[in-house]
Amino acid sequence: MSRGTRHLLFLFAAVPLLLCAKQEPASPAANSKSPAQRPLNFERDITPLFSRFGCNASSCHGKAEGQNGFKLSIFGYDPAADHSALVRESRGRRTSASAPENSLLLRKISGEVPHAGGARIPRGAAAYETMRAWVAGGAPFGSTNDARVTGIQIEPAERVLPVNSKLPLRVIAAFTDGTKQDVTHLCIFQSNSDRLARVDAHGVISTGDIAGQSAVMARFLGSVSVCRLLIPRSGPAAPATSVPAFNFIDTLVDEQLRKLNLASSGLCDDATFLRRAFLDIIGTAPTPAESRAFLADTRSDRRARLVDSLLERPEYADYWALRWADLLRVDRQALGHKGAFAYYEWIRGALLENRSFDRVARELLTAEGPLDESAAGHFYKVAKRPGDMSGIVAQVFLGVRIACAECHQHPYDRWSQRDYYGMQAFFQQVGYKKGATGELLTAEGTPALSHPRTSESIHPYPLGGVMPATTPDGDRRQNLAAWLVAPENPWFARNLANRMVAHFFGRGLVEPVDDVRATNPPTNPALLDALARHVVEKRFDLKQLIRTLAASRTYQLSSAPNAANEQDEQNYSRALFRRLPAEVLLDAVGDAIGVPEKFEGVPAGYRAIQLWDSQMEHYFLKLFGRPQRASACDCERNSGASISQVLHLMNSPELQAKLAHEGGAVARLTREHSSDEKLTEEIYLAFFSRFPTSTEKAAAIRHLQRDPRQRRHAAEDLSWSLLNSLEFAYNH
Amino acid sequence: MNRPLAPNLFCDRSPRRDFLRVGVAGLFGMNLAVPALLRQQALAASGASPVAGNSEMSFIYVFLKGGMSTIDTFDLKPDAPENIRGEFQPMNTNVPGIQICDQLTRIARQMDKFSLIRSFTHRNANHGEADHYMLTGYHPVAGFNGGLKPNNQQPSFGSAIAQKLGARGSVPPYICLPTMHPSGGAAYLGPAAVPFVIEADPSSPSFSVPDLSPPLLLDPTRLAARREILAQVDRFQKSAEVRANSGANLMGAFSHRAIDLMTSPEAKRAFNIQEEPEKLRDEYGRNTLGQSCLMARRLVEAGVRCVTVEHSNWDTHDRNFSALKDQLMPKFDLAIAALFRDLADRGLLQRTLVVVTGEFGRTPQINKNAGRDHWSRCFTVALGGGGIQGGRVLGTSDRWAQDPAERPCGPEDLAATTYHLLGINPQDELHTPEGRPIALTNNGRVIRELL
Repeated sequence: MSRGTRHLLFLFAAVPLLLCAKQEPASPAANSKSPAQRPLNFERDITPLFSRFGCNASSCHGKAEGQNGFKLSIFGYDPAADHSALVRESRGRRTSASAPENSLLLRKISGEVPHAGGARIPRGAAAYETMRAWVAGGAPFGSTNDARVTGIQIEPAERVLPVNSKLPLRVIAAFTDGTKQDVTHLCIFQSNSDRLARVDAHGVISTGDIAGQSAVMARFLGSVSVCRLLIPRSGPAAPATSVPAFNFIDTLVDEQLRKLNLASSGLCDDATFLRRAFLDIIGTAPTPAESRAFLADTRSDRRARLVDSLLERPEYADYWALRWADLLRVDRQALGHKGAFAYYEWIRGALLENRSFDRVARELLTAEGPLDESAAGHFYKVAKRPGDMSGIVAQVFLGVRIACAECHQHPYDRWSQRDYYGMQAFFQQVGYKKGATGELLTAEGTPALSHPRTSESIHPYPLGGVMPATTPDGDRRQNLAAWLVAPENPWFARNLANRMVAHFFGRGLVEPVDDVRATNPPTNPALLDALARHVVEKRFDLKQLIRTLAASRTYQLSSAPNAANEQDEQNYSRALFRRLPAEVLLDAVGDAIGVPEKFEGVPAGYRAIQLWDSQMEHYFLKLFGRPQRASACDCERNSGASISQVLHLMNSPELQAKLAHEGGAVARLTREHSSDEKLTEEIYLAFFSRFPTSTEKAAAIRHLQRDPRQRRHAAEDLSWSLLNSLEFAYNH
Repeated sequence: MNRPLAPNLFCDRSPRRDFLRVGVAGLFGMNLAVPALLRQQALAASGASPVAGNSEMSFIYVFLKGGMSTIDTFDLKPDAPENIRGEFQPMNTNVPGIQICDQLTRIARQMDKFSLIRSFTHRNANHGEADHYMLTGYHPVAGFNGGLKPNNQQPSFGSAIAQKLGARGSVPPYICLPTMHPSGGAAYLGPAAVPFVIEADPSSPSFSVPDLSPPLLLDPTRLAARREILAQVDRFQKSAEVRANSGANLMGAFSHRAIDLMTSPEAKRAFNIQEEPEKLRDEYGRNTLGQSCLMARRLVEAGVRCVTVEHSNWDTHDRNFSALKDQLMPKFDLAIAALFRDLADRGLLQRTLVVVTGEFGRTPQINKNAGRDHWSRCFTVALGGGGIQGGRVLGTSDRWAQDPAERPCGPEDLAATTYHLLGINPQDELHTPEGRPIALTNNGRVIRELL
């Protein structure tokens, strides 16, 4: 067998050397013992073959019910069960040491007997020889002293790669005995974006003709590793940016743009900045008076002053409470009216007083006692199961999804079932007692938790940690909270920074923002690191983070592309168009038309961004993608558009009634301004928060003067047109 | 996996969306006066081929969300043990030799108009992923997020058809009733292939498509004036800014469709289900599924190329038999029987392919809650019209309907067959906005035995 395996190793090691000899470092796998020198081990030598050839995939023997009576654990997460299925089940027909070629295993994989999966590994192939040798050797499971894999490293880990080129990867596994082995031929490869770069089964990457960033993952046993690719724009060198960096964000963005041969756009004008900052920071468009004041401000620090003043407005708390209530799931169906409102008020209160984000997280995690007094405790009423509690905490505060690991090893990350239950164990004590005034949230007692497969006792430990030998006394959530908000936590500050970057720049450094994985690396790791450090330095002060983001040149860029960035939407080289969220759009419509929307069940004067109950029936809000808060996923809020939305803005009788309302803005402005020029200006300020250009003004005046008896109708129609423009529905 | 059959919860604990929930990707554009040239450019940029498809064919896809138990409906196993065969008996149909469930008496009388594939199989028994597979012909790959709306990695059948054939007349090529399935989207094809979603229940007495007509008090002069001003003021409509934003660069095609709809008498008439005789509306069943099927027929008649009718909730983990008998099958029997009869009597069946299936079937083994769990290894797909022979059974399942016994067919084959019947070459390609070719079907084979 050893000859075959060595042959295979040689073959795969040789491919990169041939293609790319100069770039390859000397083999670090030199100290690895080849299988010839050590006894075969089922997990190390056989399981990877089942993965490599798709045998244990969810489409085949890896699915819950197995395939044709033979079941393997998905992705080989349970070698003991797999070994037993091969060696003990089916009366031992699957492996026969005396006549290995007659083993069902070898006859099936080579297609010598009918196999629904076809001939996967032909007789004579290296993988076949490995399996044959293993069967001939008595199909050993291996010894507990055998070296186990500790991790894999893909090489190179990062590479700038031109369009239409190839790059062979190499993957080195490290073992507990200190040895290393080239496992390239045993890995499964996957690209994050086939559009940008494909990878074949041998780990050779091919880029296409599109520039951008991608990542290619390798998986071997339970380990994953990633190669980040930067594919520069082809064509002439991009000009250096004309505007100097305003703060550290811009420096790091520029570095990235240089690597990718991209250039940033120029700065946006004041009117664009004004509307952008209002919509992003307080979810509200500026009034005409606010626009006039800002556009007349000539102080050099007017943009920073604007941001400061917005952060002090009550709408700041309203708007951000809405967004956090989505993620923390203020759900009236689950909590009842009173509970949901109290939970929401706790969130809004925290934002109003700018409570530091680590404190907010800690309060939520460690809430206890009567829910009347400890409103954050309603979280536990929404999450219900301990597994959901840990899942939501991981997703919302760390940006990590661990749900996959409830049933098996996370296929795209390092999380095992043990890690999943280690997190869940922190919440196992959560329960309720009857108190004098109502329910008491408690976290006490010593409920045990065991691994569903191995029955091993699980003691609470956080992601990336090592399981301790015992469970600590007292409320376990305190321990989790301390770990969560510690400055050295690798996810907490990054998650906050990433979510805020997504909000202000239109795209997270990691996308989706709540899917941080080893195999989903940030587009600009240095920038994410720097922002996370900044968050920690500023003690998790949300307003300070917003100031920093808004003060960057990156935030203040124009949306107008140039030749060197028109294809780029990944690297913050220009401002991206973002559709206004449902509630913000509805408020903007009401403000511009001057007729506020009335909502059922809340006092008059409530704005859409103040609605704490996402289940309140409202056609417009549903149509424009308000989330139902059924999950903690950021993706529930839908910013996509539809024909139905277009039709609604154009034809809705309610909107028409508001436009024609006697008490509305159109009626008032037409009465107050006999000058068509002035009327045009006012309408533009109301809808676009800017003055019209001279061309726009001339066109509008022509329209207003077409029939002097119908001036009011003409003003209405002009307003309707602005309302139905992209400039209105988008933050640009 | 055994959870109560709650009215609005799937077993993965994701709530079903209320039928008004929006989920359409695409763009936002409102220029009413987009010149035809600009539209052409937009289409070209999208890689769309605005072929005036000559095909007369249409496609109605009745999707039974949650997964219909086909061992209880179209592929009964009366000789299996009690814990497999279930409570229903087989019954003769109007085609000698074909038996279906005794609860489907009306459908049994239409058996000559459609056929059954009893050896349908695929590899994913999860909601979301299986749905994507059955609605696109592509199994999802890494990065699939079932929670997104839409969640398409590949275009839905309807979107691909819309892209390949374009609109027929002034009605949209692809319509979803009463709402859009999360996998019913266009993926990379862009707004021209995005479905028009009705967002209303055709069985409601006050049914109308929301906002289809401008407010009544606006006279035509003002409507024209509005469109004219909009074209002038919407400075981003044709701008480089918007072209460079994948979220907003194809509004020409998109808004044009909104206008087409508003100004189309055909569309208006097709949506007016109240025009149908009461007796026919009763025959289809006065419920969402029945009236959606009736609406689908009206839309096909008006020229719509693909109508998807989504119906929930077939996820019968609990009390499978009473759910089927009392709630699901009575409506199903009325709607599907009426659809085949009505299409045939109007001469529409030859040019209308009807496919009826869920994302998978359900376990042969009955669970402890008298329910059946997910089973994708073997289930039955019903299909008829559009060139499919009626009254046939293709393939068989093994004795307990666990696996296909002969002639297995999969979602790839369904895709190839559908495209073939619609007049689209299954070997054809689609193109991403960057021009990368993607095969229309993932090596699917046309199911020739039924043609």
